Amino acid sequence: MAGSRVKFLIGGLAIASALTFLVVAGVRDGWVYSYDVDEVVEVASFQGKRLRLHGDVGTENFVVNRAGLSAQFELCGETKQLEIDYSGVIPDLFKPENAVVVEGYIDDDGIFRADTLLTKCASKYEAKDGESVHGTPTLMDELGTKSNFGTNATDVAEGDSK
Amino acid sequence: MTVYLGNFSLAGAVLVSVLAIVAAAAALILRSERAVQLARWSIFGTPLFFCITSGALVYAFINNDFGLVYVASYSEKALPLGYKIAAFWAGQEGSLLLWALILAILSALAVMGFRNWRGKDYSITLGMLALANAFFSILLMFAANPFQLTPGGAPLDGRGLNPMLQDPGMIAHPPLLFIGYAGFTIPFAIMVGVLVAGRTDNHWLSLIRRWLIFSWLFLTAGIMLGAWWAYVELGWGGYWAWDPVENASLLPWLTATALMHSIMAQQHRGMFKRWNLALIAATFLLCIFGTYITRSGVIQSVHAFPPSLIGQFFFVFLLIITLSSVALFIWKFSALRPEHELDSLVSREGAFLAGNILLVLMTLTVLIGTVFPLLSGWGTFEPVTVKPEFYNKVVAPMGVLLALFMALGPVLPLGRIKSKQIARQLAIPGILALLITAAYGGGSAYGWLAQRDFSNLTNELSWALVQRNFWALVCVFVATLGTLAVIVEFSRTVSARKLNTNDNWLLTALRLVDRDHRRYGGQLTHLGMMLLIIGVAASSLFVTKKQLRLELGQSDTIEQYVIEYESIAEISRENFVAVEATVAVWNRNGKGYHLHPQKRRYNGWADSINTEVAYLSNWHEDIYVSLAGWEDSGQIAVFEVYVNPGMAWIWIGSIVMVLGSAFCILPRLLTIFARQSNSAQTVLAAKYPLHRGRQNEQSVAARGKEVEPVAS
Repeated sequence: MAGSRVKFLIGGLAIASALTFLVVAGVRDGWVYSYDVDEVVEVASFQGKRLRLHGDVGTENFVVNRAGLSAQFELCGETKQLEIDYSGVIPDLFKPENAVVVEGYIDDDGIFRADTLLTKCASKYEAKDGESVHGTPTLMDELGTKSNFGTNATDVAEGDSK
Repeated sequence: MTVYLGNFSLAGAVLVSVLAIVAAAAALILRSERAVQLARWSIFGTPLFFCITSGALVYAFINNDFGLVYVASYSEKALPLGYKIAAFWAGQEGSLLLWALILAILSALAVMGFRNWRGKDYSITLGMLALANAFFSILLMFAANPFQLTPGGAPLDGRGLNPMLQDPGMIAHPPLLFIGYAGFTIPFAIMVGVLVAGRTDNHWLSLIRRWLIFSWLFLTAGIMLGAWWAYVELGWGGYWAWDPVENASLLPWLTATALMHSIMAQQHRGMFKRWNLALIAATFLLCIFGTYITRSGVIQSVHAFPPSLIGQFFFVFLLIITLSSVALFIWKFSALRPEHELDSLVSREGAFLAGNILLVLMTLTVLIGTVFPLLSGWGTFEPVTVKPEFYNKVVAPMGVLLALFMALGPVLPLGRIKSKQIARQLAIPGILALLITAAYGGGSAYGWLAQRDFSNLTNELSWALVQRNFWALVCVFVATLGTLAVIVEFSRTVSARKLNTNDNWLLTALRLVDRDHRRYGGQLTHLGMMLLIIGVAASSLFVTKKQLRLELGQSDTIEQYVIEYESIAEISRENFVAVEATVAVWNRNGKGYHLHPQKRRYNGWADSINTEVAYLSNWHEDIYVSLAGWEDSGQIAVFEVYVNPGMAWIWIGSIVMVLGSAFCILPRLLTIFARQSNSAQTVLAAKYPLHRGRQNEQSVAARGKEVEPVAS
């Protein structure tokens, strides 16, 4: 029995060390510090560090260019906001007032350069509180009032302030 | 009307399930057969009430009864009928009602199956099932009532079903998942009944195994359908993002997978008893836990549900079950002493143990990763988010190692064996797998050397290449070894058996498979897993992604495909308008196809856009095109294009896994055949399937040297 205990011990140690190695590798690549916008604005120690920020898309200075794979917008927290310069594919649910997560770093000029933009979709399962049920939207009304993806979308901002 | 019907039937469900608890308690204390019958019939009554509740909700959806908040939030007049019915489970309340309905039906079915079971353990099991039903009916009545009225009266039309959910995959995904979740309640209830009543035998395991496999089957199907939906609907080229909601469904899957294996060691050899107790409880707990973390809003997820009272209900339920499970574990710890020690690490039990340890480690990793954002926010630590890379780095290598044990396990017999025996079992599959891996490695190295230029190869890039190809080789080896081990072992057994009978190959093979559904169903499930591993490895290691910016009529290449942007147009359908691009794709043989990626806007969802990807799938890779944007009325369009190798194998592997596990619980198909030609023992085995395992063990012993491991 003593022999089998030694075997178990060696096996256990091997597994533990392999696991530690994996976890260390995983943590290095897969963990990122994550804050609300308010916590990082004008805090020098965050400059240049890779971060994930949570906030809402502001309605002002909202520029999105789907074909150019870029967007500039303000990420708003409770009291403060941060200018974001994102390059990459624009997610479907990206629009003013929606909650988003961005990942990137704060540049020397104080602009957050993001390469990841994730949208959260509370509406996916639930209508937002206080959002009333729609009346009778017709196709005509819809296309008439909004041309969010009208075929003349160009590099110029859609500047869509809702 | 529907409001009254819905609420009254919900109240009825509450009453009946509480009655069942009381009756079960009375049966336990008074030992009265009448009380047992009352508990039994109350459990049969609960699904009837939930059926009325669900019927009322479906009726409200079909009749556009927007007086109900729930209907107004998830349906609209123009919604096709099928989606109107599916909108039933599109939201929080309806999906919980669906879960409750399924749980009630499965509980009744389980109780129906316990025909000749009586005694203390039976009463406690009835009480546990009634408790679970009562929890859901009270939850629905007070915290998630789908029959709330729209304040200010019914609107003219509803908000409509979220466009992303308007997909066949999404209709079937939740019910499948809930069948899995609800099904795991039954093994838990049986285990609590048996252990609290003081039984220490292993016969009850045959009662729970069928339920375990059944629930696992549906959970697997549900998870894979969810993955498929994410792939075709979300448009980011992948199928699994390690989001908390995905992890929540994976956690019980991992523990249930471990359990299905370790339970065999308990059934046949009385080992791993404590471990199995812990796994049965953990599987049930993780189903509830997953629901708690995703619906209480404590964890940020892309599948956000708004915070609600439901979270508190689940939290209390979770707390009670966790504490009682821990108490049960401590109480029964010494009674659950193993009947055998582990003879050798190189045995089927050894493989079970190793696989179990890996599965539990994977569960812990995923669990910690999922709740870490919550934990790291508490202390003085900096808050951390765990990205998919973490899981890919940690869980994927464990998965590959697990696959190796999976490949070896089924061909190893139970108990002590000689190393010569193992060598004989594994020589042919091992050598063949090595040859195939070498051929694969040589082939891809040749292809690579022939076409790449090395000028832009940095150190970092070449290290990544080495790593990728290393894992590819490992996965190819493991998957071919696993596949070949099963095939070689099977053909050996068939030919050994054929010597004793005068049947032809096909009939011998069919009879052999039919004689032991669990074993061969299990092996089929393993084969499915091997296919899945190949698909997952290929698609995650060798995906190519490219953004193409094309003018009308212009073309570009990705891998060996040529993509040409042909046209763009605005189209209009019943419930959406879309801008649709037409793209021609030529494959390496010069054959062309048209793909139509779109961006849609659904009626009633004026401020949300929905990207519809278009993809072409063949046996070795998918080409997946998503329309990112366009300029100047579509003079220029930007596409995101992925070439995903091996994708089809993920879906094929999943289907094989589901079929394999379904085969495990199917009754024998060739029984009549078997009766005619086989010995009396087979007839006995067919008649008393519960004892089949032991008989097989004896028959293996009787046959002596014929290598055929015990029924799994």
